[in-house]
Amino acid sequence: MNLNMNLYSRGDKAFVYMNMFLVGLFTISTLYPFIYIAALSFSSGDAATSGQVVLTPVDVTIEAYKRVLSEPMFWTSYKNTFIYTLFGTITSLLIIIPGAYALSRPQLIGRRFWNLVVAFTMWFNAGMIPFFLNMRDLGLLDSYFGIIIGFACNAFNIILLRNFFEAIPSSLEEAARMDGANEFQVLWKVFIPLAKPAIATITLFCIVARWNGFFWAMVLLRDEQKIPLQVFLRQMITQLSDDDEFASTLIESVYSFETVSAAIMVCSIIPVLFIYPFIQRYFNKGILLGGVKE
Amino acid sequence: MQSYNEKLAWLGRHLKREWQIYVLLAPTLIWFIVFLYKPMYGLQIAFKDYSVFKGIVGSPWVGFEHFTTLFGNDHFIRAIKNTVIISSLSLVFGFPVPILLALMFNEILNPKFKKTTQTIVYLPHFISTVIIAGIVITAFSPSSGVVNLLLQSLGFDPVYFLVKPEWFRPIFIGSGIWQESGFSSIVFLAAMAGVNPALYESAVVDGASRWQMMWKITIPCILPTIIIMLIIRIGNLLEVGFELIILLYQPATYDTADVISTYIYRQGLQAGQYDLAAAAGLFNAVVAFILVMSANTISKRLSNTSLW
Amino acid sequence: MSGVALKSIVKSYGETTVVHGIDLEVKSQEFVVLVGPSGCGKSTTLRMVAGLEEISAGEVTIGDRLINNVAPKDRDVAMVFQNYALYPHLNVADNIAFGLRIRKTPEIETKRLVAEVAKILGLEEYLDRQPKDLSGGQRQRVAMGRAIVRHPKVFLFDEPLSNLDAKLRTQMRAEIKRLHKRLGVTSIYVTHDQVEAMTLADRIVIMRDGYIEQVGTPMEVFNHPINTFVASFMGSPAMNQVNATLVKTEHGYCAQIGDRLVSLPQSQQLEDRVGKEIVVGVRPEYVSIVPLEGTQGVPIEVDLLETLGSEALLHTHVGDAVFVIKAETIDGLEHLHALKEIYFNPSRMTVFDAETGIALNHPTMN
Repeated sequence: MNLNMNLYSRGDKAFVYMNMFLVGLFTISTLYPFIYIAALSFSSGDAATSGQVVLTPVDVTIEAYKRVLSEPMFWTSYKNTFIYTLFGTITSLLIIIPGAYALSRPQLIGRRFWNLVVAFTMWFNAGMIPFFLNMRDLGLLDSYFGIIIGFACNAFNIILLRNFFEAIPSSLEEAARMDGANEFQVLWKVFIPLAKPAIATITLFCIVARWNGFFWAMVLLRDEQKIPLQVFLRQMITQLSDDDEFASTLIESVYSFETVSAAIMVCSIIPVLFIYPFIQRYFNKGILLGGVKE
Repeated sequence: MQSYNEKLAWLGRHLKREWQIYVLLAPTLIWFIVFLYKPMYGLQIAFKDYSVFKGIVGSPWVGFEHFTTLFGNDHFIRAIKNTVIISSLSLVFGFPVPILLALMFNEILNPKFKKTTQTIVYLPHFISTVIIAGIVITAFSPSSGVVNLLLQSLGFDPVYFLVKPEWFRPIFIGSGIWQESGFSSIVFLAAMAGVNPALYESAVVDGASRWQMMWKITIPCILPTIIIMLIIRIGNLLEVGFELIILLYQPATYDTADVISTYIYRQGLQAGQYDLAAAAGLFNAVVAFILVMSANTISKRLSNTSLW
Repeated sequence: MSGVALKSIVKSYGETTVVHGIDLEVKSQEFVVLVGPSGCGKSTTLRMVAGLEEISAGEVTIGDRLINNVAPKDRDVAMVFQNYALYPHLNVADNIAFGLRIRKTPEIETKRLVAEVAKILGLEEYLDRQPKDLSGGQRQRVAMGRAIVRHPKVFLFDEPLSNLDAKLRTQMRAEIKRLHKRLGVTSIYVTHDQVEAMTLADRIVIMRDGYIEQVGTPMEVFNHPINTFVASFMGSPAMNQVNATLVKTEHGYCAQIGDRLVSLPQSQQLEDRVGKEIVVGVRPEYVSIVPLEGTQGVPIEVDLLETLGSEALLHTHVGDAVFVIKAETIDGLEHLHALKEIYFNPSRMTVFDAETGIALNHPTMN
């Protein structure tokens, strides 16, 4: 459908260019907040507090980053986030992949029922308080393990992968069984290699969710030594808006509260930017949409 | 009895043959039971005078007392009102944007430009709520934020946006649109990719302009998707991004910002009134369940395909 | 090598029964083809032998071993699937070796066996290719290679050629036949294509609605169909079936078609049907367009003539019944267009009871 531009009428050309202009405008406005934060993080404290930073850094300096990188809590929380992301994602995959496979097998007795058990949790949820009390009763407050296991699974990911498994021709499973494979081997040697795109998508979503997760970490973790980066960042930001007395300790001429916060935000976004191209690869494969329907 | 024994024997043979898939299913089921179904059992505290020492089962029943308390409480009523208002406004202002965006992406001819712009507008979806909040707080800061700088340069007085109740909703909804519009457009782009190219080709032969093709072909073809997405959104009316609200609101803005989830968070997790908060949560969950189920039924009837 | 025996095999899903107690004995090294229209239970039967479907009742034995409750992998059978079921993520060599590796065959032995099979099937050049880069015929060969590499006791084929185009199908058909001759493995082959059944089978099993209609060599079922269903299912074009009345004349039993008397194969079976309605079955190939002694001609009207080259198909009708004739074109087409009468050779006719459709002069009944 993409004809040579010369073949377009004047009206169509105007339309095409106008459209490009509008899309460009939207894109720039999407991008701007990131640029703004990045600019702040490289500006001097004075420039930031006196409101000179709009688009590009003013009095370029890396003092804010130096301050961030010398903050022990930054490193502790960064390390924690890394632990939660790594082990959380592994745990998620260890639960989701076998479960989705089992739920996709026609020979599973009560398959409809088990699928309903999973899907029902998308529509009805006990809510914050019972979940919290349950975690407390399980002794999972303030523990690495609690954060890792408590959020390892969700109905959406299971259904997404189950649909993918269901789309694999059953004759492949049958052929593998005839070839002597047991269920574990069928899953490991046939279905997992074939579901790579779907598993990659789920993995990336788990990673992003883990990296960004903050609410339950904030609620469940009391020990400062266990909090993830997002909770640390949140503490900084609330102080920013509350004008906490701690904030005043950060006011120096070379960095300010604003620039330090901005620097932490940048440090937190960078890993996401790093895996973002991998996520992008799966956008157009329709896998993301597969989960919408059962 | 014979057939019962037969069934049992059959089950025995089946398990002997297929035990492995049950082993594979077990972790998932156990997880769902321990982390999602056990809390449902714990929901009973909504009808109990919950005491930490007596536990969930041991605490005495109080019937609907908590619900009576809740509906007599101005703050809870306010939270319901705010939930519905914020959600509806998000729908009205936020729903059309991804559709427009998808239509615009669809009309871009230069593949490189298309890919770059798409990459950028999808990005905010993957950014954490805390950072979104951080950006908002920084940008709307009264002394140094870029928004106030702009206002000042235009001759206005600086506004302390985040303590003004009337500004909370626009800021919240605006940041939601900024974060999610791009990513939400994927669904519509996928629907457009499914339109038969022959339709456009015959339209070109018939001399249609691109503007006409958009209105006469693209939009009618993606209308079913639009309707279904709209129904899903209405079904999720009670779901507001409460994490962002928790990060952005302050006692000064509770009037317009406090929603059911944040109310539950404050009453339950911050003030320790677990039973009352659980009752509010149960109310929320039941209404949400009814909405979602109705949405599913309607869309099933409209499209003959279930959403789940 | 071992044979396969099915004793009163039943398959039901809840209330619906799709296979109603089938008995079948496949001898060692025999090539048996199950054929029938879709939904006749042929694939289900095969899958029960494979172990992919549970056997609701009855017994299946391979050799002397009862395998009802034996897992597919332990039955020592191999199966070729309709859609080939090649593992898309593995190359040809790994596809063929998959079963060996699962069974922990030493790697050297695996390599040797794969090479051997590749040679038999002419796949040596393609061992590194991915399935998606192969043609339909090559994929088919890989699927066969995967089956034969394990040297199973029994081969099972589930419509293996139906995804191929007509030309390739003919070619692969011959190849399967050759392979069977060479390896001599007991084979059960399912197809809905009667030509495949005719060309491949040592014995054909014709199924309908979960029952076996007839078992016999290709020539037996072709020449002596046991009922009108088999008669119309086997052979292409199908056997012509003309309604007639059975009469007894001084020349013996005859079929009265309109006002003509057509001699029938003489059989004691016919005696108590005299005066009753029958169906006369004549294959298009066995119709004579020149007069035959001792029988009257049957008047026809030619509706359409399809030329196939050396032969032509005449679409005609006898009374109200459609009647197809296969005739040689060696003498030109004019006289075929002008054809007014045809003649049936009594020894090439089958007589069916009009009510039950069962053959009245079947050799097994005499």
